[in-house]
Amino acid sequence: MRSFIRTFAAGALAAALLGASAARAQPKVVKVGVLHSLSGTMAISETSLRDMLLFAFDQINAKGGVMGYKIEPVIVDPRSDWPTFAEKSKQLLEQDKVAVIFGCWTSVSRKYVLPVVEKDNGLLFYPVQYEGEELSKNIFYTAEAVNQQATPAVDYLLQQGKKKFYLIGTDYVYPQTTNLILYKYLLLHGVPVENIGGGLRKGPDGAVISAGKYVPFGHTDFQQIVADIKQFAASGDACVINTINGDSNVPFFKEVVAAGLTPSDCPVVSFSLAEDELRSMPTKDLVGELGCWTYFQSINTPENKAFLADWKSWLSTESYPGVVKEKRAVDSPMVLSYDGAYLWKAAVEAAGSFDVDKVRAVLESGKISFAGPGGKVTFQANHHLTKTVYIGETRANGQFKILKEFPDVVGEPFQLKGLDEKLAAAK
Amino acid sequence: MRILARLLGAGLACALAALRLAAAPSDDAAVRPLLTRALLAQGAAQQRLLGELSGSGSRLARDVLTAWTRDEVLLYPAPDGARIPVILEDQQDSQGRARAVRVDTGKRLLDARGSELRFAAGDLDSVDTDMRLRSSIQQALDALTLADPDPDVRRSAAVKLGNSQKPQYLPALRKRLGVEPNAEVRRALDESIALLQLDDPDVAVRVAAIGRLADLGAVGALDRLGRAAAGGPPPVAAAARAAIAVLQRHIATVNFFGTIFRGISLGSILLVVALGLAITFGLMGVINMAHGEMIAVGAYTTYVVQNVFGSGFGFHITLPFSFGGRPIAFGFALPGLNATGGWYESYFLFAIPLSFLAAALAGLVVERAVIRFLYRRPLESLLATWGVSLMMQQLFRMVFGANNVQVNSPSWLLGHFSVHDVEFGYNRVFVIAFALLIVVGTWLLLTRTPLGLLIRAVMQNRDMAACMGVRTERVNMLTFAFGSGLAGLAGAFLSQIGNVGPSLGQNYIVDSFMTVVVGGVGSIVGTVYSAAGIGTADQVLQQATGSPVMGKIVVLGCIILFLQWKPGGLFATRNRNLD
Amino acid sequence: MPNHSDTIVIRRGLLRRIPARLEFAGVAVAAVILLGVLPALNAFVPAGSWLHLSDFTINLYGKYLCYAVLAISVDLLWGYTGLLSLGQCLFFSLGGYALGMYLMLMIGKLGQYHSDLPDFMVFLGYPKLPPHWVPFRSFWFAAAAVVWVPGLVATVFGYLAFRSRIRGVYFSILTQALTYAASLMFFRNDLTFGGNNGFTDFKFILGHDLRRASTQRALYLCTGLLLLGTYGLGKWLTATKFGKVQRAVRDSENRVLFSGYATAHFKLFVFVVSAVIAALAGALYVPQVGGINPSEMTPDKSLEAVVWVAVGGRGTLVGPVLGAIGVNALKSWASRAYPDLWLLMLGALFLFVVLFLPGGIVSLPRLIAERIRRGRAAAGARAAATRTEAARTEADSAASRP
Repeated sequence: MRSFIRTFAAGALAAALLGASAARAQPKVVKVGVLHSLSGTMAISETSLRDMLLFAFDQINAKGGVMGYKIEPVIVDPRSDWPTFAEKSKQLLEQDKVAVIFGCWTSVSRKYVLPVVEKDNGLLFYPVQYEGEELSKNIFYTAEAVNQQATPAVDYLLQQGKKKFYLIGTDYVYPQTTNLILYKYLLLHGVPVENIGGGLRKGPDGAVISAGKYVPFGHTDFQQIVADIKQFAASGDACVINTINGDSNVPFFKEVVAAGLTPSDCPVVSFSLAEDELRSMPTKDLVGELGCWTYFQSINTPENKAFLADWKSWLSTESYPGVVKEKRAVDSPMVLSYDGAYLWKAAVEAAGSFDVDKVRAVLESGKISFAGPGGKVTFQANHHLTKTVYIGETRANGQFKILKEFPDVVGEPFQLKGLDEKLAAAK
Repeated sequence: MRILARLLGAGLACALAALRLAAAPSDDAAVRPLLTRALLAQGAAQQRLLGELSGSGSRLARDVLTAWTRDEVLLYPAPDGARIPVILEDQQDSQGRARAVRVDTGKRLLDARGSELRFAAGDLDSVDTDMRLRSSIQQALDALTLADPDPDVRRSAAVKLGNSQKPQYLPALRKRLGVEPNAEVRRALDESIALLQLDDPDVAVRVAAIGRLADLGAVGALDRLGRAAAGGPPPVAAAARAAIAVLQRHIATVNFFGTIFRGISLGSILLVVALGLAITFGLMGVINMAHGEMIAVGAYTTYVVQNVFGSGFGFHITLPFSFGGRPIAFGFALPGLNATGGWYESYFLFAIPLSFLAAALAGLVVERAVIRFLYRRPLESLLATWGVSLMMQQLFRMVFGANNVQVNSPSWLLGHFSVHDVEFGYNRVFVIAFALLIVVGTWLLLTRTPLGLLIRAVMQNRDMAACMGVRTERVNMLTFAFGSGLAGLAGAFLSQIGNVGPSLGQNYIVDSFMTVVVGGVGSIVGTVYSAAGIGTADQVLQQATGSPVMGKIVVLGCIILFLQWKPGGLFATRNRNLD
Repeated sequence: MPNHSDTIVIRRGLLRRIPARLEFAGVAVAAVILLGVLPALNAFVPAGSWLHLSDFTINLYGKYLCYAVLAISVDLLWGYTGLLSLGQCLFFSLGGYALGMYLMLMIGKLGQYHSDLPDFMVFLGYPKLPPHWVPFRSFWFAAAAVVWVPGLVATVFGYLAFRSRIRGVYFSILTQALTYAASLMFFRNDLTFGGNNGFTDFKFILGHDLRRASTQRALYLCTGLLLLGTYGLGKWLTATKFGKVQRAVRDSENRVLFSGYATAHFKLFVFVVSAVIAALAGALYVPQVGGINPSEMTPDKSLEAVVWVAVGGRGTLVGPVLGAIGVNALKSWASRAYPDLWLLMLGALFLFVVLFLPGGIVSLPRLIAERIRRGRAAAGARAAATRTEAARTEADSAASRP
């Protein structure tokens, strides 16, 4: 029992000391929070973002920092546990007093952080494609909105003469919302309901509330679904829109290959597979499947080449613990993290202050741009980016060959309402 | 498949064309002048030449036409005023320039003094195309594809043409049907011809075509038939309705047999995954939460073997502690055999026994270090093995990285064959055979060998067996190693159909326990039945509810209710023990 | 078949490992600190002072205390009745969801869409609130649901399971399946509970702004009181005749059964009580953490709670509390200090506890004391032996003297 008391006393003391040390922060250093899971199921994806941020900070510091302040990253590990995201963000803002947080991958983790940054008036830069339908005054979304990934991909497929669309995803909010948007978008573009595969579910009033086929997290058996797709695609003008998340993509594609469903019969466009994920996929069997992002490692511009060269040389010289040096790929979420760091720097310098309200005002002005590796990105008043969208097809080496660009796509987080109105008008 | 992929690998198309131009097989000689004329002609003449080309079946023509649609055929204005169509080679020099290959001769473009000319991408104009021309080229390309040496390519080209609703393809399809040797492709051609005839002005032709589609079981034609049934003249609509009914019956039959096959194959996977647990949990009573990680050991072993057959495998870990100022680091490297072709693909055959051994070894270590203290405390073995499972997952992350690793399936496990449209994947057939094999092997080991006798004796009554002079410690150790080894075998197989990563085992742990408990703890036969039953139920429910999630939930619910009815599982082992 | 009874390690007198008077004093002091001193340090000491306890810390302790209540509920089942349930997190989450529904409705028009409906319903196209949501506008209805929904689930499941005499390992595996199936259900968007995202971004509880420190402090105090209450209830329950039967069921269910007790009823009662306790903890957890989602109800989370109990010391009421707070504090520290290694440490800790410290942390002082006493006794015996030897030699030599 005594140790119980002691734990608490020690905890209180430690907390008090921490508070005191934060108060006398060193001059000319600005603390920046990095909130990415380094352990647990999400570590697969999020560790790369941490590495990229460290690279960006080192690069910025080497060029004189932000307004002369050196960036000091405070890295915490929310362990892929969503409530821990709330706890750690609170810790970053209230104890470490960071000027900005770069973090989160999943939507649910962002949903947990949102009330915290709003309460403490913090800043969060969020870099991973998501379903939209959210706009917090304290979050800046460098991520792809649905109209910067899913709808351009569908546009491309329609252009290619595809007439039937099979929607499949993991059963959670991002695929559900994206597919619902795509369902309405396809209707609006004259695709008849029977040509949208995967099934529809209607609410009590008859309105469609869910479109597509869904599998649980960690699903491994895709036999039935692929057989279904094969029947759906028998007419030769079908394609698959894949929002399956994470690990389940491997068994899905292995089944697709085993069933002999080739990209020329029925291409699969995936929204959660980037170069980093392709490293663990049997890419030699997937040549010709499609992807859509706002950055591909294969972009052939001087900016991208210089960026990749710098990244490579940084990897060979850095000495942070836990950064893997071999066989690294760069993909869109990583580059959007990198862009986020530079956009924040630009905004701080334009505002002349780290103050959140001032930085926000500058970011919302629409004048903050950065010529990133994926092309120029500009923040809009709605906290999303204007940027270039690329469609690519996979190659045997795990890279994408770029097939089409949509330059300067304006990010729009709220899609559903507008589509509903347009659909009503079309009727 | 691979040829098709190459065709689509757009980056390669141009290079291929250049290569083939240079290689110039003899039958291409006739095509070259035709190609050149087509590239330089205008209007109707060009259309006619394209039509001629489409009949040639030449690969060269296809590559050049593909390059044309991509604006990669360039025009070199020769000093004498002639325009020479060329294609740039893929290999660029330091200034981004590449050598050019002439379409008309297949030789490199030379200047007056005989040295090779080099161009950058923007130096020359490309041969003009417009929307209409491009679609004509596309048609020519499609017809050319019908003559491809690869039957898969021919089949998918036929399907594409059939759905184009362009009757102008009919002659090409008919011509091909006359010479096509492959039955599958013939069926696709037949189907496509019938599909195109659906637009025929003659009602009788349309009705006949509909009849043929029904006979062929052309599932892909359902959409078109639906439209015909709704909007066609009465005889056509009636025929279409009849055909739709036939096709739907066909689909129902195919789905029925398909579901049974898929159920059995899922059941085999469950069986393979659960069999090891049926030993460690069922026979020994250890609640082995690290069973999933034993599966992962097998899968990672397959990965390592694959890499050893390839370019080698190595790892390196640095701990965040230091000893005497130096960080603690360790690692090792295995050299690669750099095998290729069939030899490389045989890696899986070596991986299977090695996965068994690796997992058995891991099981041995766990048994000696942890489990032997817990034989009389099963609930605590649950906690301890959960600790082991956490540690093993972290070790996988440290050695192999947090990412999934890439395991390529040998080509003999890819693909499928179909019987009456019911598809049988090679990997699925393999897993069923594999499951049968290891079940029979396990059964033989347990019932026909001296070791099996000892195992059964110890598991039935450890104390009594010890009194009879059985070295129970050793039997425990071997049994646990054997169970873990079986898990390793499961891992080797799972690497072929799913992902290999640190949390691989977590996906299967609940399912494995369910299978063993439903079958009846301690009964291998029960595990076989329950795996087959759960697998089939899962597939049937998935089909019935249309949702894999609901299917899974209903299966779990049924299992919970089933155990109310038969708490001991399907094959309850009886004994006189009350507890 | 191996012997599945789980009784060998639990020797009699487990409860007496801590002297009763010392335990009472310790709990009293802890209660004063938890419920009086810490909140006071947070509320009344100015922020600059070194004595000040930040809002963050109070909030964090609030979370730990919720875990502690959950751990006691696990222990009532496992430590006292021998039922290892992997479903406690399900009840914890059900309680959380019940209150969460109320909290979601209290957001009102402050959401993204300025609609009365929760955001996720708006963008999934629900025209109006589904009927089962409507009564949750009332706090008291929600509070009642926190108790009766998990209670009902536990009653039905427990009735079925205990009636068919499912016990030991089978019970664990069945509860695991139940939890797994439930988490799959809750991951579905169609269930109208927000799918994978669950509920977040709460604003008000009973009209108080959840973002204010005073509200959080009040919630913390409630949790502290709940912990104290649970502790008291556990103390009382285990001291009564009921508690004796409960432990007898754990040690040898068949003997109890043959003595004429309907063990199934006893087990069902404990199962439902601990489900309700877990649900209350969950209900207090949700407003403090700021959300609830289906990954809180996976079998793994339940296993973690079992591990807290094992580490702290099962079969005691103080042990689970120490275990829950200790393991979570360790996790917080280790995951920051050694992100690559903390899972190894955690796994090794479980192994160590299971293999070498079956009584958990609380048994440590007694073990040490015993070791010292034994050591002393051994030393005494050795000394005595030497003395006897010396005496004999002396006697021998005396005898040999002429």
